[in-house]
Amino acid sequence: MDKPITAASALDPVTFEVLRNAFVNIVDQMAEQVRRTCYSFVVYNRDFSNALCDAAGNTVAQGNQDLAAHVGTLHYTCKAVIEEFGDDIHEGDVFLVNDPYIGGTHFSDTRVLLPIFCDGELIAWSQANGHWADMGGSVPGSFDVTARDMFKEGIRIPPVRIWRRGEYCGDVARLIAKNTRDPEAIIGDMDAQTQATRIAARELLRLCDKYGKDTITTAFAEVQDYVERAVRLRLAELPDGSWETVDFVDQDPAGEEGLIPVRVRLTIRGDSAEFDLTGSHGTIGSMYNCAFGGTFAAIVSGMKTFFPDVPLNAGLYRAVSVIAPENSIVDARWPVAVSGFVMCFEKIMNAIFELFSRVMPERAMACAFNIEYLQTGGYDARGDGRPYFMLYDWLAGGWGGRNGRDGLGVTASCFGVGLMIQPVEGQERLCPVRTDKLEIVTDSAGPGEFRGGVGLDKAGTILDVDNCVFSYFCDRERAIVWGIEGGLPARPHGLWLERPGEAARFLGAVFSDVPVTSGARFWRGTSGGGGYGDPLQRDPRRVLEDVVDDYVSLERARRDYGVVLEVVDADLAEYAVDEAATRAERAAIAAHRHAWLEEDAEAVAARYRAGELDMYDVIRRHGVICDWGSGELLANSTREFRAQMRARCVPHWQ
Amino acid sequence: MSNLRVAVDIGGTFTDICILEEGSGDLRIAKVPSSADPIDAALEGLVNAEVDLADVTLFAHGTTVATNALIERKLPHTAMVTTAGFRDVIEIGRSTKEDLWDAYRDNPPPYIRRRDRLTIRERTSAAGVVEVAVDAAEARALAGKLRKRGYQAVAICFMNSFANAANELALKAILEEALPGVAISTSAEVLPEIFEHDRFSTAVVNAVLQPVVGAYAKRMQERLAAGGYRNDLLLLHSGGGVMTPRTVDRQAARLASSGIAAGAIANRYIGKLCGYENAIGFDMGGTSTDVSLVWEGESTLTRDWHIEYGHPICFPSIDIKTIGAGGGSIAWIDEAGGLRNGPHSAGSIPGPACYGRGGELPTNTDANLVLGRLGGNLVGGGLELDAARARTAIETHIARPLGMDVESAAKAIIKVANANMADAVRLVSIMRGLDPRDFALVAFGGAGALHAAAMARDLAVPTVIVPPHPGVTSALGCLLVDIRHDLLATCLLDAATADPAYIESEFARLEAEARERLHHEGVHDADIVLTRSIDMRYSGQWRSLAVPAAIPFADVGTAIRAFEEAHQREYNYVREGAGVEIFRLNLSAVGLTPKAALKRHAPIDVVPEPRARRGVVFDEGGLDTAIYWREDLPAGARIEGPAVLQQFDSTTLVPPGASASVDPWLNLVITV
Repeated sequence: MDKPITAASALDPVTFEVLRNAFVNIVDQMAEQVRRTCYSFVVYNRDFSNALCDAAGNTVAQGNQDLAAHVGTLHYTCKAVIEEFGDDIHEGDVFLVNDPYIGGTHFSDTRVLLPIFCDGELIAWSQANGHWADMGGSVPGSFDVTARDMFKEGIRIPPVRIWRRGEYCGDVARLIAKNTRDPEAIIGDMDAQTQATRIAARELLRLCDKYGKDTITTAFAEVQDYVERAVRLRLAELPDGSWETVDFVDQDPAGEEGLIPVRVRLTIRGDSAEFDLTGSHGTIGSMYNCAFGGTFAAIVSGMKTFFPDVPLNAGLYRAVSVIAPENSIVDARWPVAVSGFVMCFEKIMNAIFELFSRVMPERAMACAFNIEYLQTGGYDARGDGRPYFMLYDWLAGGWGGRNGRDGLGVTASCFGVGLMIQPVEGQERLCPVRTDKLEIVTDSAGPGEFRGGVGLDKAGTILDVDNCVFSYFCDRERAIVWGIEGGLPARPHGLWLERPGEAARFLGAVFSDVPVTSGARFWRGTSGGGGYGDPLQRDPRRVLEDVVDDYVSLERARRDYGVVLEVVDADLAEYAVDEAATRAERAAIAAHRHAWLEEDAEAVAARYRAGELDMYDVIRRHGVICDWGSGELLANSTREFRAQMRARCVPHWQ
Repeated sequence: MSNLRVAVDIGGTFTDICILEEGSGDLRIAKVPSSADPIDAALEGLVNAEVDLADVTLFAHGTTVATNALIERKLPHTAMVTTAGFRDVIEIGRSTKEDLWDAYRDNPPPYIRRRDRLTIRERTSAAGVVEVAVDAAEARALAGKLRKRGYQAVAICFMNSFANAANELALKAILEEALPGVAISTSAEVLPEIFEHDRFSTAVVNAVLQPVVGAYAKRMQERLAAGGYRNDLLLLHSGGGVMTPRTVDRQAARLASSGIAAGAIANRYIGKLCGYENAIGFDMGGTSTDVSLVWEGESTLTRDWHIEYGHPICFPSIDIKTIGAGGGSIAWIDEAGGLRNGPHSAGSIPGPACYGRGGELPTNTDANLVLGRLGGNLVGGGLELDAARARTAIETHIARPLGMDVESAAKAIIKVANANMADAVRLVSIMRGLDPRDFALVAFGGAGALHAAAMARDLAVPTVIVPPHPGVTSALGCLLVDIRHDLLATCLLDAATADPAYIESEFARLEAEARERLHHEGVHDADIVLTRSIDMRYSGQWRSLAVPAAIPFADVGTAIRAFEEAHQREYNYVREGAGVEIFRLNLSAVGLTPKAALKRHAPIDVVPEPRARRGVVFDEGGLDTAIYWREDLPAGARIEGPAVLQQFDSTTLVPPGASASVDPWLNLVITV
């Protein structure tokens, strides 16, 4: 290796490497403990993260299985506790905090922090963060899409003490738990998290015993230096420059129709990176705002996606600076509603995917599908007793096409790839909802030389219920998952509902408290990933293989890729490429596609309403955004969406 | 010639053979290179060892045939037929990735591609009511399509079939008639358990393996019979028992980790032999290390395992953690100046630098050689080691960049390797609240005994046990097992209102099936041991706990109390007044095989003379060190560290301050 190596200074290389691994191992042990002993199924399905911080609150190690959305926020929480309590921190204390306005994410993410003392000296903090199933507020689960401030969202916990010098502060714990819908589960998860922080203390003290306290605190500093060095070396190898892009949240329900911009400018100068979000929209009238903690998490997670082998700690944060305009959608302040911060989080992450795709083309990746979350609540009328049920359901979808490879199909969202979807058979047993379909959707992937990964459709029927309502948290019904380098968009999110005796209605990607009755059918899908590269450049044999697997239909093979296939034997799924027809089709698309994107948008919408154009053509050929139910043109959204297609696609079309 | 028991463990590089003489308890070993057809090497090894198959009373076998077929995707043309609307259960999985951050690292694709997954209209409700029956005409049309496509195996996987398998069985009957000779697996017969992904995935693995291992087992049985062996071939399965070729068809997926389970069984056996009910198995080979755990005399089991990420095989299986650390693991310096060890391995080709086969990167083996811990050759002289190449590799890639001398660099490499492995062991043991001081570390595999004492010190484990033939200990494990089947019935009942008579009848049904299977394998009633347990959980929770169930089962209250006690012990809490659900009934059915005892040697109190002395570098520095031949050491022999024990298939390091003695079964017991 001819790179300059500036090895760790005060520790010998063996002690350094052993301790570096040992710190991560401690966090892994915390994760095992949380998963084993947690109460709520949200935590059990891995919506939690842990960290070991130094005495000043800087993160020394985070777990490799942690959710992206928690990364880069745990040190803020730790510092907030230190700032609040100063000298009043003692052995046997345990603290609790969920405040998103001091570096947290949203109220559900509640952190337990334990100061670790060695020989009477505070040397470290262990921290366990879990998504609590309910924080109170106006709706079960504490996600109210109509919330404009935190008072509908749930209980705000500034740094408080839940153990004082080894004594449990039951009064404080009960005050919190009794402001939620499931006090027992809240106390249960809090105990599980506390136990995990104590395991970290036990293991760290074992290391202090073996290596000496000073060696441990020195190693805390050096593992951060090590990560900073690694990140800076990577950044220094990249070209200096400035790149910018914009991604969008669909709408401000309190404002006029139009996409809500999240702007990101990346500047690499020498061995550091700056992310400037100036120009992002002001806060909006829904819970889809993000406080600074969530924004910082998105930036760190976006970076980590491109340097996946660099360990997570505060050393990474030192190589990065962030500018976020105050009171914007990416730096919301108290008391603006932020429970849906993940919508902005994912936009920032995808923007970073695009920016780094330009800087590191060998790891390029187009846009991924948007996280989505359907909440069904009501009384189960299947048997006696009529218990209240809550069905929280989320899906996987497609990630963006990559340089030389199709995108990842049916994968958890970039909010946190570790979040598992639930088995249908488990849901059907517990809730009066039958799933009629959960399947990959043909043509859901954004076309490209390397297409996006595929998305899903899930359809169901409401069985016997009383007083049942739907709430849906999603996005990218309008700011549709986009391609890069000439690749095309995928498809819109949104939910359709067909009540007995009524026509199906499109309810869109965000709504709450919609009543549903027994016999109602509903379906929604996730988008595939955006395409990478010009779909007319895709090898026709790869298109053929996709048709054999029904990832792509015969019809869209022709319309998206210009590949004409003939059926040799349908039983055997055997097809052949019609070379001449393919050449002609590709030439025709190449000749017309610039004009399609300029066609009168209202005329396109009218043809969609009349059934002359299908949705894929409206989006992929014409860049037009409609209300997908009524077919009404969304003119402002279309204008912004087309501008993005002109930037991301047109320059790469030959 | 007295009766012999033979165990064969076929690995990627070597085929290990253990031969136990029933009368004397004498143990012989043989090691031959593996062959293209693995059976050839096994038979060749027997010829070399002068074993007449007519003298063999029991032939047990751990095989990697199934594992390799899955990894290399050398699988028969297989179709999956599933409920319309659910074509992609095995592709969607649980939607997570093994590597959360690297967007350029993909999960392995499903074993059956989408084009080979067909659907049919049918539906059973969660309560087990058939809402849409299989239409015979549609099924026959489907059969025609399957025939035309020439599939060798079919997996039938329907939603909620765990609650009622009628639709799966109806389609199976039609396909069996229409597709003679095609192997058909149904999900509820393979694993009658709720959660579609787990069940379908297991059934698919079973379907793709059935033709592979079925044919293999049949061929092996025939060749053994031709040589004069008169009994059933016994195949080791993931649950730590054996089965005969007659059950392989139905349970082919249980052979997916056949080759890995043997080491864990040997760990349990040797630990017990030495008086330890708690043992950590440390099986370190060239490219990886398998860690297993025995607690209170039983191997820990898991239902959460796979050969490739995302494709679970949910039979109860011995819990083995494989770490990417072995003798061939490469030491390197990362861009930020950190000294790293593994997970990349030099493998056997090109191998460590000292093999002189073109490898230039420093490995653990090179470091051990430079430190004098390894002698100048391996495999009893079959492989000469080149110390100069090892020094050059370490000098170039580690010592010079870090500004160290070569010996310090070699020590550093080993220390990092040991610490990494100790961390992994910590995760599987201490994590479960178990205290390492209550354990013994059983070290085997080619490299285990070189690293074990240092590991044990790091983990505060007081004792290391090195069996007499560390390199073939896994094969020994195959000799020590009983026929075992694990049966289960998903049985979702509210515990408060559950009818014990119904539960008893379900257990009775499982027991009848278990007896039938064991009788089929030639086990007499007197040798059958049946053990019942019930998985229970709080209503609405996903995590369940197994508690013992009485024979006959007459009282649900006792089971609920046992569940609450177990929950308190395992998870630290009890939910007062919360509903409890019965989730699954389990039956482990064991057919005892007669055990032969290893030979017990009378100990003689002796401090043996070393064969040689050489300088060996320890943590304390270079020390003049006694070198012993392991086969020179009789039972009762005592040795003080520092010492190196060399033998055909392994090298043992006894560091300064440690002492060792040889027990009556010729295990080396090191007090660290």
